[in-house]
Amino acid sequence: MWNRAPDVSPNLRIDCGVERRINSRTSPKFVSGFFETLVAPFGFSLPTQGLLGSLNLTQGVYDLISEHKRLQFASVTQLARAVSDLDSLKIALLQMDSEEFAIWCGLGKNNSRLGLLTLIREIDQALVRVREARVKVDFEEYRPGPKALVNSMTQLALTGVACEAKQVKKAWPQSGRKPLTPKWKSRIGSVSVCEGVGTLIEMSPMEYTFKVKWKGAARTRIDVGVLRNHLVLDLGGVRRFLELPAACSRMESIKARVSIDSIEIDFMVNEKEWPRS
Amino acid sequence: MTDENEGAHGANDLGSWLTSMGAPESITDLMPSEITGVDLAPLIAMLGGVGVRSGVRNVGDSEQLADSIKWLPLDRS
Repeated sequence: MWNRAPDVSPNLRIDCGVERRINSRTSPKFVSGFFETLVAPFGFSLPTQGLLGSLNLTQGVYDLISEHKRLQFASVTQLARAVSDLDSLKIALLQMDSEEFAIWCGLGKNNSRLGLLTLIREIDQALVRVREARVKVDFEEYRPGPKALVNSMTQLALTGVACEAKQVKKAWPQSGRKPLTPKWKSRIGSVSVCEGVGTLIEMSPMEYTFKVKWKGAARTRIDVGVLRNHLVLDLGGVRRFLELPAACSRMESIKARVSIDSIEIDFMVNEKEWPRS
Repeated sequence: MTDENEGAHGANDLGSWLTSMGAPESITDLMPSEITGVDLAPLIAMLGGVGVRSGVRNVGDSEQLADSIKWLPLDRS
C-alpha cells in the first residue's frame, strides 16, 4: 500500500492482527484532560454528542495518543476505527473552540481553553505520528476473507494510514489460508492512501466544485457529508475529515459525485452570505 | 426543568448521568471520583433554563444538533 513514499518514519510501529496483550484502560493525561475540559466549565456537558456519541475511547484511541514506540491492534479494522475516532475527537474539540461553543460552554472564563488547545495540538501530533507509522499486518490471530481484508485496508487508507501491500501479500500465505488470487492481489495493490488534499474549482461565478483525489474511490460505498468547514468521508463508520477552503463556508453544498479516482462536491454560492457586485 | 434535562431524571450524580446519556461506563474510570460523584441537583438549579442535552442548541421552538453532519446526495459514475 499504498503508494506511500519511502520516507516513512520508523518512529512508530503498529502491528495489526495481534491480540492485545494488555487490555489498556489507563488513560493518558491528555484524555483525562479532555474529559475534565468537558466537565469543568459547565459542570457537566457533552456538547459534541453527534460526533462523540458513538466513539469507544477504550479501543485504541488511548494508545494512539500515547508515546509508545510500538502498538498492537487486533485487526486492521480496529486500527482504522481508532484513527477515525481520534479524527472525530479532534473535530469535536475544534468545534468546542469555535466562538459559539466557547460562549455556550463558558470556555475562556478560566484556563479551559488553554487546555483545549493543548489537547487539540497533542491529537494533531498523534495523527501525524500514526499516519507516518510503519504498519505490519499478520494473520495469525485474525484471518479475514480477501474481501473483508480489502474493505478494512480501504478503510485504513481512508484515514490516511499507509500499509505496504507487499508485506500484506507476504504475510497472507503464512496464515495457512489459500493463496490470494491475482484478482485480490491486484485489489490490495490498488488501494491508495487518501492524502486529504483537495482543490476548489470555479465552474461558473455561482458554482464551485471541491475535488479530492482518491484512487479507487468508485469501488467503495463511501458516504459524503459536510460538517461546518469540513468535508466528511464515511466508509462503513470509519470517517475522515478534510478541511474545506474558507470560501466554502459562504456556499451551500448541493451534491457529491464519486468517480474512479476522485470525490467531487458541488457548491452553490449563497448570495445572502456572499453578495457580489 | 426543561426537556433537555430529561437525562438527569433518575441520576443523582454526574457519573450516573453521563452513562444514562449514553457515555461508556468506563468513562467513570477516567474521571476523578470527586467529579463523578458531583451532585446534579445544584448544578441543574444553577443552569436554570439552559438546555444541557448534549450538543443541542435551542433555535426558536426547534432544536438542532450543532454538530450534525449534512449528508449529500451522491452520484456514482
